[in-house]
Parts: sequence; structure tokens; C-alpha cells
Amino acid sequence: MSEGSPTKKAEGPEYIRIEFDLPRRYNWSTGRYLGKVYAEAKENKKMVAPRCPKCKQLWARPPSPVCPKCKVDMGWDWVELPLTGTIFQYTYQVYPLWDPHEGERWSNPHPPAIILLDNGIYFRHLLEETDTKKLKEGMRVQAVWEEDYEKRGQGFQDILYFRTIEE
Amino acid sequence: MAGRVAIVGVGQTHHTSRRDDVNLPEMVGEAVRAALADAQLSIKDIEAFIFSNMEAFEGIILPDHGMIAEVGAIGKPGLKVTGGGTTGSEAVGEACHLVSAGLYDITMVVGWQKHDCGDATAGISAAAVPTAAKGMVVGAVSEFAKQALSYIRQSGAREEHAAMVRLKADRCACRNPYAHLKLGLKGLEDYLKSPYLVWPIRLLDFCPQSCGACVVVLASEERAKKIHKKPVWVVDFEVAHQEPFSAGSFGDPTGTETYSQDVAAERLYKRNGITDVRKQVDLAEIYEPSTWEEMSLYEHFHFCEKNEGWKLIEKGVTEIEGEFPVNPSGGVIASNPIGATPVIRIAEAALQIRGDAGEHQVTRDVKTAIATALGGPNWTAMFLLKRSL
Repeated sequence: MSEGSPTKKAEGPEYIRIEFDLPRRYNWSTGRYLGKVYAEAKENKKMVAPRCPKCKQLWARPPSPVCPKCKVDMGWDWVELPLTGTIFQYTYQVYPLWDPHEGERWSNPHPPAIILLDNGIYFRHLLEETDTKKLKEGMRVQAVWEEDYEKRGQGFQDILYFRTIEE
Repeated sequence: MAGRVAIVGVGQTHHTSRRDDVNLPEMVGEAVRAALADAQLSIKDIEAFIFSNMEAFEGIILPDHGMIAEVGAIGKPGLKVTGGGTTGSEAVGEACHLVSAGLYDITMVVGWQKHDCGDATAGISAAAVPTAAKGMVVGAVSEFAKQALSYIRQSGAREEHAAMVRLKADRCACRNPYAHLKLGLKGLEDYLKSPYLVWPIRLLDFCPQSCGACVVVLASEERAKKIHKKPVWVVDFEVAHQEPFSAGSFGDPTGTETYSQDVAAERLYKRNGITDVRKQVDLAEIYEPSTWEEMSLYEHFHFCEKNEGWKLIEKGVTEIEGEFPVNPSGGVIASNPIGATPVIRIAEAALQIRGDAGEHQVTRDVKTAIATALGGPNWTAMFLLKRSL
């Protein structure tokens, strides 16, 4: 600052600034049916699906309050899904895309897969094995749960991924 | 449809990655003026407008800001449709219904997307339902990777067939002055150099995000005959709904749109007495987000028997000069301004019927054409267009 520069600010109104830092909570309502799936996963480490009273088909993902096929009220008949199965199909991301959640280029190292569960239900999830050379369709896999109760509550993502198993 | 409806004007911008020279309303205005010039109508003749744009795919809300004035629609009745991939065909369907029902004599569909101001994949992934799909989806690419794997498994198609689809699209696009990607691909080697995005989808297997707009003007039978020398009749419109990503439902382990494709095709063909598509229809402009999907669509739209889609491309049946041309415009793989994409399918099919497609006019005479769309929550939309009633 050169000599003789004004050091005193011009006279004017004094502004008062108040920080308002209360968090604003946004929640995504699961609803009754998806809520049941979330609760069973968090509390009991179980994956459940509703069964249509008419066609007896399970509607796992998403659990629908109305049977998509029969268009009847689903009722409240829940079936526990076996969490072992075979890899029906898998893919993997090669070129990282923009991840809008983080604002960075990112690719999930875990290959997304369709797993044919042992009761004949097709289930979308991730695979643990990131070395895709070691993967083959038809391999046996088993779900790996998030063991920390506090971290669970993410619904289908309470299962971290499916691990290949020897039988 | 109750009253007969015809396409009496089409207009589009050229499609490209960036339009830094114009803003969104100005870009859309180009297509509106082109369509009005084609129909030889004034904007004052348009009684109602249907806007077609996938909101949030430009990264902004209300992207039609400033556009209503530019288009000339202030005070006019109308709707905006925003239904994912099928947006444009739902919009044209709605505009047809309004005319067919006798509510208006002349309606205009304005479809657009300007992808240089936002990213569709970011829109799809960021706004995915958190309880259903967060962390599991990578835009549309990973869905079509699953579709490709299923198609390969079922049909025995190989990568060289996907390459043939891309090479056909590129040859067509190079003849279409409006097309976005005109790569001048030479052969299989060029395709094989293309990197994978999500295995087994290569960059060259997938549609781009384009900037562009397409406008269609529709009119009632009486007015259509006076407006245009060559009105193209919208004989029928069909749309089938489906839930997205439900693995295993309706006989499809991967949860793609095959169910809605089968339902839509069956209903459209049955209602119009179509039993042999390649004999009774002359051309198709289909919505093929990927090379593999194009081959699958051939089968689900009954252009061939099951598991033989790749044989059609191998035999050159669907080339511009072929017996049953598919996507002589270059298709979605070459140009994809999402809200306009299905409108382009309809506009291009209409131009082929009129014989006005210029350098990419197909060899055979086109009296009847199909234009389709796919997307959003796995919906399928189909149009049947004809030269004469």
C-alpha cells in the first residue's frame, strides 16, 4: 500500500451476517414393500421378496405392491431368497464415465452381473472378483453382507457383492 | 385412429456435438422454420404445439426457457412430453391424436436436445432412483452391454456383425447432410480399433449425444391434401409400456425392452393386417441405440425369424440399396439429439415415402414405412406411415 493511501473504509451501513447451518434432511421414502426389504436386510441380513397370491411368482427387485403380470394386490406373503446362485451374465466398465455423485471420472471396479439364484430368480448385483479374466458365466457365487449394523440400511446394497465359491 | 392424419411438413437442423454458434431457442428455431418452409405454412397456421425434450438430459431444468417465444407458440395450446428415449414418438403420437380427434386441424411437434450444455449419462445416473439403481447403472451403456451379451448368447452373432451394422450406418450417414457422425470407416479393422466402454460395447457400437432439433407438422385429411402435394399418412401408432431393469420379468433375464417390443409389434401388425413385414412394408427407420440392439430389433419387429437378425446384416438386406432398407439416414448410432431422435425417425421415413431424401434416398420405391422408438422405462413406440390411404 503506497503512502498516503486511505486506510479507513468509507463510511456506510454495517451488515450483519448470520450463518444458518442447520442441515436440511431429504429422505427417500421406501414405502411399505421396499421398506420391508430394507428392514429385513438391515435387521436380519436377509433378502426377501413378495409372492403373488395368484401366479405365485416372486417379484424381488423392485418388490411391487401389485403383481406386474396379474394386476392383483400382492398381499403380504414374503419369501426369503437363497443368496447362492450362478453367474448368468456379467459385464464390466472399461472406460470411466463421469460420476455425477462425486464429480469425477470413476468406474466401479466390481463387475455388474445378473445372478441366477438357486430358487430360479434372476437378481441384479455386483461381483467381488475384479479380475475379469477369472470370471466365467455359470460360476457359483454367494452374497457377502456388510457386517457393520450401523452401515447397513442401504437395501439391496447391504449386500456388498457376490463372491465366487468352490463347491 | 378416428380421423385421418398426414405429415405435411418436416424440418431438421444438422446434428452435431456442439452448436456454440446458436443458443437453444435459436437452434430449435432453425428446424421450425425449415418445417414451415416445407409445409409452406406460416407459424400462425399452427393451432397447437407438442414439445418433445428429455428434461434434465441437458443438465438444466425447463430447457424450453426462451424457446416458446422463438418458436412462436405463446398463447397457443399444447403439451410437453418428456418420456426418455420414446419422447419424440409419444409427442408425434399425441399430436396425431389431437388432429384425429378433431380438436385441431394443424399441429406441430417440436423435438430437440442440445447436449453441449449437459450430459445425458450424468442425468441418467445422477437422477436414478436411489433405492433402485444407485451405484448399479452407468447411464444407458451398461444396459445395452447386458442386451448385447444376451443377444450374443441367444443368436450366435459375432463382433464382425456388430461391425457390419456400424459400417452400414456410417455409409448411410456419410450420404445424409443432417447426420452427426460421418466417420468414413473403411472396414472391420477400424471397428476393432475402437475401445470398449462397457464390455462388450465399443465406442463405435454406441450412439452419440448430439445437438439438434427436428420438427414435424401434422394436418387433418381435408387440410393435408390442400397443404402439401405429397402428404404422408400416419396410418397407425402403437406404444407398449414396461418397467425398467426388472431382471427376469416377462421372460427376459436381463430386464431389457424385448417384451414391450413384442407386444407393440404384434398389436400394430395385427391391426393393419401385416403378416409378412418385408413384403408389406418397404423400409424402416428404427431407434437403435447400439449395433447389437439393431440386430435384435430386426427379430422383435419380425423383419426376420428369431436369432437371424445378424444374417440380415450379413446378406446386406437392410442396406440403402437392399431389399428392405433400415435406417438409410444413418440412424441413432450416427445422430442422437434424444428429444428429437424419434421425431427424426418419423421425418426421415416420411421423406423416403415422398422420395425427397436426396442423396440417401433408397433404391426401392417406398410406399409404406415403419418408424420406431425405444427407451425411457423400456417402452416401445411404433408408427406405420403410407404414401396413399
